[in-house]
Amino acid sequence: MTSRSSSAYRFAIYGLLGGLALLFAFPLVWMFATSIKPVEQTMESPPTWLPREHRVLLGGEQVEVNLDARVAAPSLWLVRDGSAGGEHRLVPAEGFDPAAFEGWRIAARPEPGWWLVTERFSTKVRERAPRRDVVPPDAVQTRVRPRWENYPVALASMGGRSVEAAEGSVEERAFNPETDATFLDFLGNTLVVCVLGVLGAVLSNAIIAYGFARLKWRGRDALFALTLATMMVPFPVLMVPLYGVFKDLGWVGTLLPLWAPAWFGGAFNIFLMRQVFRTIPEELSEAARIDGASEWRIFWQIVLPLSRPVLAVVALFHFLHAWNDFLGPLLYLTRKPTFTLALALQNFQSQQGGVQWHHLMAASMVTVLPVIVLFFFAQKTFIRGIATTGSKS
Amino acid sequence: MALFPQSFAGRRTLSAFTLALVASAGFLAEGCFRGKDAAPGGAGRVRVTYWEKWTGAEAAAMQEVVDEFNAAQDRVWVDFVSMAQIDRKLLVATAGGNPPDLAGIWQQNITSFADRGALLAMDDFMRADASASQSSGDAVDGFMARYVPVYADMCRASGGRVYALPTTPSVVALHWNKALFREAGLDPERPPRTRAELDEFARRLTKRDPATGAILQAGFLPQEPGWWLWANPLWFGGSFLDGRGEISIGRDPANMESTRWLRSYTEEYGNEALQRFASGFGTFGTPQSAFFTGKVAMILQGVWMNNYIRQFAPGLDYGVADWPAADEAALARAPFTVAEADVIVIPSGARHPEAAWAFVRYLSSANPAARSRAELRGMERLCFLQEKNSPLREWSPYFEREHPHPKISLFRRLSESPLAVYAPSIGVWQEYYREINTANEKVRLLEASPEEAFAYVQARMEPSWRRHRESVARQSRVSLSAGGPANRGDEP
Amino acid sequence: MMHGETRRLLRGLGFTGLWIVGLGVFTAYPVLASLYYSFCDYSILQRPVWIGLENFRQLATDDVFWLSLRNTLFFAAFSVPLGTIVSLSLALLLNQEVRGRAFFRALFYLPSIVPAVASSMLWLWIFNGQHGVLNQALAPVFALWGGQPPAWLGDPAWAKPALVLMSLWGVGNSTIIYLAGLQDVPRELHESAELDGAGPLRRLWHVTLPMISPVIYFNVVMGMIGAMQVFTQAFIMSGGPDGNPARSTLFYALYLYSTAFYDLRMGYASAMAWVLFLFIAGLTWFANRIAAKRVHYAS
Repeated sequence: MTSRSSSAYRFAIYGLLGGLALLFAFPLVWMFATSIKPVEQTMESPPTWLPREHRVLLGGEQVEVNLDARVAAPSLWLVRDGSAGGEHRLVPAEGFDPAAFEGWRIAARPEPGWWLVTERFSTKVRERAPRRDVVPPDAVQTRVRPRWENYPVALASMGGRSVEAAEGSVEERAFNPETDATFLDFLGNTLVVCVLGVLGAVLSNAIIAYGFARLKWRGRDALFALTLATMMVPFPVLMVPLYGVFKDLGWVGTLLPLWAPAWFGGAFNIFLMRQVFRTIPEELSEAARIDGASEWRIFWQIVLPLSRPVLAVVALFHFLHAWNDFLGPLLYLTRKPTFTLALALQNFQSQQGGVQWHHLMAASMVTVLPVIVLFFFAQKTFIRGIATTGSKS
Repeated sequence: MALFPQSFAGRRTLSAFTLALVASAGFLAEGCFRGKDAAPGGAGRVRVTYWEKWTGAEAAAMQEVVDEFNAAQDRVWVDFVSMAQIDRKLLVATAGGNPPDLAGIWQQNITSFADRGALLAMDDFMRADASASQSSGDAVDGFMARYVPVYADMCRASGGRVYALPTTPSVVALHWNKALFREAGLDPERPPRTRAELDEFARRLTKRDPATGAILQAGFLPQEPGWWLWANPLWFGGSFLDGRGEISIGRDPANMESTRWLRSYTEEYGNEALQRFASGFGTFGTPQSAFFTGKVAMILQGVWMNNYIRQFAPGLDYGVADWPAADEAALARAPFTVAEADVIVIPSGARHPEAAWAFVRYLSSANPAARSRAELRGMERLCFLQEKNSPLREWSPYFEREHPHPKISLFRRLSESPLAVYAPSIGVWQEYYREINTANEKVRLLEASPEEAFAYVQARMEPSWRRHRESVARQSRVSLSAGGPANRGDEP
Repeated sequence: MMHGETRRLLRGLGFTGLWIVGLGVFTAYPVLASLYYSFCDYSILQRPVWIGLENFRQLATDDVFWLSLRNTLFFAAFSVPLGTIVSLSLALLLNQEVRGRAFFRALFYLPSIVPAVASSMLWLWIFNGQHGVLNQALAPVFALWGGQPPAWLGDPAWAKPALVLMSLWGVGNSTIIYLAGLQDVPRELHESAELDGAGPLRRLWHVTLPMISPVIYFNVVMGMIGAMQVFTQAFIMSGGPDGNPARSTLFYALYLYSTAFYDLRMGYASAMAWVLFLFIAGLTWFANRIAAKRVHYAS
């Protein structure tokens, strides 16, 4: 290959990669961008990236305003004096008939391009109507200001408080731990499911896999074949009877069905760990046996420490599975204080009256963020885990 | 094959998990502490969980009654929870053996829930109460006698047992716009009394653009909003089940007659013109809906209409009257109407059914001597706050006189009519209802003839109804032979 | 003194005891119970009653069941091949000698581990007919022909394609698998093909793809099995298990779920589950047969 065609080739490769990278990154970036916008800027057309704040001098004080519209033609901004609400009207300058506006005063003569502004609606000042005005473009001071306050409000309303209560403009009703929950409850429940599930998956699968990989006993290979066969069974087949099992155990409505089964092993992880355990030289075990070590000590002190990478892979993927699981919580959890984050997020979105996009994106962001952090923490384990689990089975 | 190099790459991941473990232990501890200091009222009582479908003002009304109950005694504490999609969530929770102790569903659901064994019959509680008070006669009939008959009857599932009791009821009446009557030269105080008059008034109240023929105003449209179109066959003297309890929708000629009437409105206005006109209607319950904006002059609606008008069309000059009679002869008899109710049930598997029943019993009572808002109790407080008629036979003087709905007596009279109908108590009603609506819609849009549309429903529903009855019969045979606790009624 | 054989057996059972319990309680019993229920009238609140093949007979005439199957097959038929093309292309790009490969790999992979609930919320927002960023971008394009972009999730014709599009965002997982497969292809094969004068496309077709065909086969089969069970995205993006709008996203798993838990027809749902099981098993068997002929297994 000549160097010229090679450099064109490389250029094309980088161009493609760059473009695709932008496409893949865009949705998450958009989620974040939406989550820090004020509500009216989430629905702007054309869409904008950065959350902005516009300030205007209104009645002698700098206030934050919404830019409602631009004035199209020379017009007059009329104010009715004396009226308590401060009644305003924008009329075309052409053919203006003063007689029709008795008691009105011309407050400004806006030119095309001026902004019609409204004091930004805050739920805290409901007692008076927001002030409105028409101002020249250079009177509007615009700066970028992310609305971090979306996050606490979204999380509070995810827990069942109204947005008004979360913003502090309405008094909140008493918290009843039987029926109400906070974001911290959801996070706590999710962590319980994840951590207890991970511990169970790592320990139980390691012990079981050891029995398959390092011990010889009658029936072992038959049981292992059966184990592999269970990987074929799709979850819907198990769903109904499993629900009955958990019902009979009295576990429905608790977090137990979400983490306890992990303590009894899983076919895929057993398979994965068995493969790794088999690569550890048998001589190590033999030497320990001669020293009088029990099979458990050999497992615990020799095999397990040498298998740390595969333990990490199992832990990581179980954590991810438990964190992301939706169907399980949907099936087994009915009371809000027991919800996990995934179910709470869906419950938040489907609540009556709907949810505003910036709050929904903020709540989603909080659900996604730990996964992203975990990914950067354990990137190598992730990549190796998938590459091996995916192609070697 | 070496899957993993013997390295310590996993250590970072594992230590991250250790961190997470510590963090979550912190959460658990935090949860324990918070659980202690945040205990509200109700310590030491039997705690009853109550799921309701209502939100907003309707939920607030029930919350007030719950608070009243919690304050009125010291044995039971009710925790009230608003829940969207209650019918579905209730079934999932009941199936999991983890239902609430009380739930608010719709009357139309009762039989299908009961047939699946999801509800506890309340008969035994009524009998236990009656034997405690040593009253004579059938305890269940005695208890149910406090309700207006139509509301008592709709709470009995197939088998005759009581699986639910009404919370807030409704009946449907004709609402008309007096201003539009005046404009059309009609007497604003004289609503149509028969179906023929309804059709005639509707024609006289209709306005069209003389140039384009587009409809500007319609006197009456059966489909606006058309929530009770399913009941039209009954209005025409038809039936859903025949005397032997078999599906009759496609067999009873009166049923066809009812859809022909529906179709006559499309023929009168023109299908396309009507669709264009109706596409400009806002959804019901907004200021843009057809009756509030004067696009439709007469509408069949429930007892809540007054509340909506106050919110969305304040100042609208309207009247309320009986649902028009089928014909002159029927006028002499009692008025036709459709009755419905929100109901409260105790799901099977409820932890504290007796305590739940204590609340249901409280809700089924009122203070008949109430002379002020503060003296309203139980059912009357709930219906007063939700601005609905009370399902109880007896009303307190304050409730009737000071009710926020000025025409509440009319709704009381309608609900007491022997011709008040309700959705049949059959386990497949949901499906039957959906099919009837689809058939009505097809006929109305001139996509099918009444005979075709209802023959299709007949063909779909016959096997479905047969299967359902077989399933119910099988289940009761099993519970009989096993001698186990039968959830459903086995007596005829 | 215990017999050596017995002791070994007991030790083996000791280590695998947890799994024997787990296998029995959480897999074997449910599989058999599900099979039994599929021949029963069962609501979970009452005892199952044997009704023979009635459930399966009813399935054959259930329009909604067939619709859910068609919807699911539509989704699988588009999302699996498109997903394969996209992820394979990404892997091929990443397999070039590029700088920052780790960065790009991380970027493409990350979306696939975003919780399905959160990514559904995100795509609900992106697909929003009125304010969604996708239609904001498409509107000027459609305006050239005087048209309007589709309402996506609000339009029965476009709701499924929208879900397919969203699924493409999560192909990072298979990209990594393909990349690992590509890196196992011996360099010498490429070099000798290059010496023979084969261009990049010919090398791709005659060397690379055959070499990684087992990986492709594995991914496609797993993708099909996954697509047949798609649930969370459809449940959230259509606002429940009804498959709104107009049942256009009523997938098999959604119908199964609502039949079991909203209608409490557990027997009927079990019959559906077994039909799915047999369908997936058949699919795998069929794919295996094709694979035996076509897939090149590196020995």
